[in-house]
Amino acid sequence: MGKYLFFVMALLLSACGSNGPEEIKLNSDHCDFCKMTISNGKFGAELITQKGRVYKFDDLLCMISYAKGGNTEVPNGNTAVHYKAHYVADYTKENKLVPAEKCFYIKGGTIKSPMGGNFAAFTNNKEQNEFQQKYNAVPMTWSEVYSSIK
Amino acid sequence: MRKLLSILFLSGFICLGNAKVITVGKNSAIKKIKKALELASDGDTIIVDGGYYSEGNIRIDKKVTFIGKNYPVLDGKHKVEVLSVNADYVTVKGFKIINSGHASLEDPCGIKVYDQKNVVIENNILDNNFFGIYLQNSTNCIIRNNNLRAYGKGEQLIGNGIHCWKSNNLKIIGNKIMGHRDGIYFEFVTESLIQKNISNNNIRYGLHFMFSNDDSYVGNVFKGNGAGVAVMFTRNVKMINNHFEQNWGDSAYGLLLKEISDSYIFKNTFSKNTSGIYMEGTSRIKVEKNVFSANGWGMKIQASCMDNVITQNNFLGNTFDISTNGSLVLNTFNSNYWDKYEGYDLNRDNVGDVPYHPLSLFAVLTENTPSAMLLFRSFMITLLDKSEKVLPSITPENFVDKTPLMHALPL
Repeated sequence: MGKYLFFVMALLLSACGSNGPEEIKLNSDHCDFCKMTISNGKFGAELITQKGRVYKFDDLLCMISYAKGGNTEVPNGNTAVHYKAHYVADYTKENKLVPAEKCFYIKGGTIKSPMGGNFAAFTNNKEQNEFQQKYNAVPMTWSEVYSSIK
Repeated sequence: MRKLLSILFLSGFICLGNAKVITVGKNSAIKKIKKALELASDGDTIIVDGGYYSEGNIRIDKKVTFIGKNYPVLDGKHKVEVLSVNADYVTVKGFKIINSGHASLEDPCGIKVYDQKNVVIENNILDNNFFGIYLQNSTNCIIRNNNLRAYGKGEQLIGNGIHCWKSNNLKIIGNKIMGHRDGIYFEFVTESLIQKNISNNNIRYGLHFMFSNDDSYVGNVFKGNGAGVAVMFTRNVKMINNHFEQNWGDSAYGLLLKEISDSYIFKNTFSKNTSGIYMEGTSRIKVEKNVFSANGWGMKIQASCMDNVITQNNFLGNTFDISTNGSLVLNTFNSNYWDKYEGYDLNRDNVGDVPYHPLSLFAVLTENTPSAMLLFRSFMITLLDKSEKVLPSITPENFVDKTPLMHALPL
């Protein structure tokens, strides 16, 4: 009996403490910045605040604008949101979120994202190079991406 | 003079004589569409007989009139873009175009127009394509009376029905669109008209405007789409005589206005939507003579909106007529008909003698705490609402229609 209880408790606790991103439901969830329904899994993004609230976005541009624009969780208005994690969709997959800091980025060229941010994120350098040439885009790092948006 | 005329006349004949008509079909000498296109020169007409043609990607790069008789089927077999238009003055008429490729990196289409002028696409049937009709960098084109249908499901990528990007002077008239992502999508499209289209049951929006100024949409029906119609980051759009119906859902609106200014919303019907109109960052818009009936919220006006005028509308049978998220009121309401108005009209001038506060206390409460909706229609809430009407404390006092009408306008 005790064994089972332990097992159940462990299961419950693990459910509470889940640290990963929450999946974006395409064509159902809407962007918390621009209000559009998220429909393209290649450009999605997600921000989790320190309190654990999840905000979903249809474009990297929206996430960073939101993060910098401040929201109600911050007492004095226009400072950055206290975030715990940023996630961004892997461009080569359909709707898979990966930690934004670890990604390799390209911007511009023939990429067209829902809100005109036109960033694409990749999990490795090889894909970044490949798509950068294919789309005639500019390579960027996460910190460059983040600081490029006001 | 007569000589000159006759020369003109003759030369006219010669020109006409030059334009050939090429027939393609089982019983013709030419069996393949691509062969016909090879033989054709500018100004020719190609007539394709009914039948089944699967020739991969067909590229039209001459100024031809391309006509289908009895709806010949052009099949992309889920691999290629079916028809690419790469010339000015092309007409595509009377085809049934099915099964374009389905790729997420490129955007394969039923018909795509690349950087051209004066293209006409009419009376076609497009079935099960990724994108239906796609205009890129095009001017003066007409898309008329096409019937587009796709079978998009919730969790999968699907293209838009009629997708227009960086174009101007388009006319999109009388099309029927179903089951695409957005029925009609405009991005950087100016001075264009969208008229008499029916855009139903699309996955996301019936019509979607992004960064597209100086356009009008008139007399369209948008019904049962994922989230209605969105007009975003745009100015000077006229929305006249449209029907917005049956857009239900958490983030669904009849009409979503975000960052838009200097526009006119006239004589539309908003019926049975979660929210009829949702406005955010909207300024200098006139909302006149519309009907809002049987919606959850008639209008949601966020505090970031200013200088909007809401006048002579009918609000009938909505759960909430108006809702807002702040206390700042920079919009004007006047001479609307509110079916919840309980005032009187002693001098019989058809205008209520007591101002009407369209914002109910409960609408404000639920805007801040959505879960409070549980208490809706409870005794306490009704009591609070009544006392708030008498002595406004939480709802902004200047949120008021000073000339509410006693009778609904005949709209």
